[in-house]
Amino acid sequence: MAWIMKNSADAQIETRDEPYLTPDMEKKLREVYMPRYERPKGALFPALHMVQHHYGWIPQQAMQEIADVLEIAPSEVLDTVSFYEEYWELPKGEHLISVCRSIACEFCSATACTEAIKAKLGIDVGQTTDDGKFTLVELECLGSCGTAPVALIDDDLHENLSPDRIVSMIDQVQNGTYTQGGTGAVKEDL
Amino acid sequence: MPKKTWENTLTQHHLLKRIPTAPFGNIRDRHIVGYDEYVKTGGYEGLRKAMAMKPADVTSQVKDSVLRGRGGAGFPTGLKWTFLPDADGGQRYLAINADESEPGTFKDRLLMDFDPHGLLEGIAICMYACRLNKAYIFIRGEYHHQAHVLEEAIKEAYENGIFGEKGLLNQAGVSGDPFVGECYVHRGAGAYICGEETALLEGIEGKRGWPRIKPPFPALKGLFGRPTIINNVETLAHLPFIMSDGSDAFKNQGVESSIGGPPSFGTKLMGVSGHVEKPGCYELELGIPLRTLIEDYCGGIRGGKKFKGAIPGGVSMGILGRDQFDAEMDFDIGRKYDVLGLGTSGPTVFDEDTDMVAVARNIARFYKHESCGQCTPCREGSGWLYQIMTRIEAGDAKTKDLDLAMEVAKSMGSMPGTTICGLADGNNWAARTIMEKYHEEFEARVARTFVPVTIDMAALSGA
Repeated sequence: MAWIMKNSADAQIETRDEPYLTPDMEKKLREVYMPRYERPKGALFPALHMVQHHYGWIPQQAMQEIADVLEIAPSEVLDTVSFYEEYWELPKGEHLISVCRSIACEFCSATACTEAIKAKLGIDVGQTTDDGKFTLVELECLGSCGTAPVALIDDDLHENLSPDRIVSMIDQVQNGTYTQGGTGAVKEDL
Repeated sequence: MPKKTWENTLTQHHLLKRIPTAPFGNIRDRHIVGYDEYVKTGGYEGLRKAMAMKPADVTSQVKDSVLRGRGGAGFPTGLKWTFLPDADGGQRYLAINADESEPGTFKDRLLMDFDPHGLLEGIAICMYACRLNKAYIFIRGEYHHQAHVLEEAIKEAYENGIFGEKGLLNQAGVSGDPFVGECYVHRGAGAYICGEETALLEGIEGKRGWPRIKPPFPALKGLFGRPTIINNVETLAHLPFIMSDGSDAFKNQGVESSIGGPPSFGTKLMGVSGHVEKPGCYELELGIPLRTLIEDYCGGIRGGKKFKGAIPGGVSMGILGRDQFDAEMDFDIGRKYDVLGLGTSGPTVFDEDTDMVAVARNIARFYKHESCGQCTPCREGSGWLYQIMTRIEAGDAKTKDLDLAMEVAKSMGSMPGTTICGLADGNNWAARTIMEKYHEEFEARVARTFVPVTIDMAALSGA
């Protein structure tokens, strides 16, 4: 429901002294991303991705800092952030499990996988475990329908899932034996 | 010679030349093809051939091949390029649509996963032909790995003189008008609507993915208000073959239209998913009957069951019913089989045990979730359709709900003329064709609506 507008008129912004946008990030934003676009606002997506990748969510203070660098209004940043599903306005768990619920996956038993994860973690879709370790969400098509059902654990795609397999992978994450991989490991932030 | 009816004449893959796939290779041999290996296997030949020609001649060759857009609409690519105004010294853009989010579609991911230079060569050819100096690959946010592979490949392409200051495009060729060509990856952030061409441009500009009202068309005023060409990944990946082997070689695959329309030439990636024995992405000639595709290439329906239906290429296209198993997978499919079109030609197949009401509900939920919210018929209609479908599935609906769903569905879309973009048309066609082609299933799930009628017997008898 990307279109629901957030009430930002009376929003209170929590701030901290240390900026969210580290000098490295700002340098990358100014030197790598901004020259790519004719207008500075074009670099908003890469900037947000950078913050999201680093903190796991996008604090409002970070939005203000990005707005300052790009010389746009903070509301324009919020406008974009609130539209896109991948940008988190609130902190999420350490690991994000995203199960695909679209057509091919649902009819190749993705629901059973979701139920198994819910039972394993004791949370519902959209919730985070009490220890802050896992957040479970359902997404629309992840673009791997031929190997349905599929799910993302953080940035790694796992294909041809079964309830047992996904549960054992969560076990691995919990006991620290999970190795990044899936279809491909992401080595660095893009 | 272009063929009238489909027969398999493919002796090697074109798009999947370096991505081993049945029947010409084993999936286990797949690996990321780097620049050196790409060049060794004939890569960047098409670009060099193109650069020995005048840009306008490259466009004519693409036009002559009748390459039709592989993103879903099937618009002739060469023709699209001719809509560009003459270069005026300002920026001109290429936006590559790699926002593959249509449920049932997983073809572009394969190209970007293993053969990124195939795409980059296509991009360079397009940039040369259309005099475009910046290319943005808009890749969906969920494709983390693919974005990384592309970044690496672009780095290699810069180092080896394809893009940038020292790039091929900046060497005075026949055209005598060199320019610096740049290519970047732009990652999306999880919005299906950004696959719509003008929403994609908004996304690159850093805004909400809200489709723009056309005209002006992107070819005249697109990205940052400048002329822009938007092409799908697979469309561009076809260009190296068309340039290196010529348009006639391209036309040898695929079929002429059987109903006198524009032809469907070339090969096509067909990502088969759902209830088949061997799902996966195959490269086949356009015009292949769905039955042949499923029985000869995908091992038939899972568990030897019967065919019930298939979505020809992404949920927006509607559904092929039980009696349409022999439908030919070409661009005529929309006019012949009462679906919206070929779409991305990645069939999602359902076996006889599938609950079609649940299929309709799943699709309705997708549109409810992905509607951008600009136009009321789409924003509200998609939500109502989902509610009605959920009600029917739960057995709480009445007969009149079927009429209501149909009425809501018919009122949505740019073809009825009520919305800016085509997202609602997809919802419209999906809901409508499923309800029409499987009406008995829907009727069996709803309670009859009785209309109480009082007859005045005295008035009838004339007293």
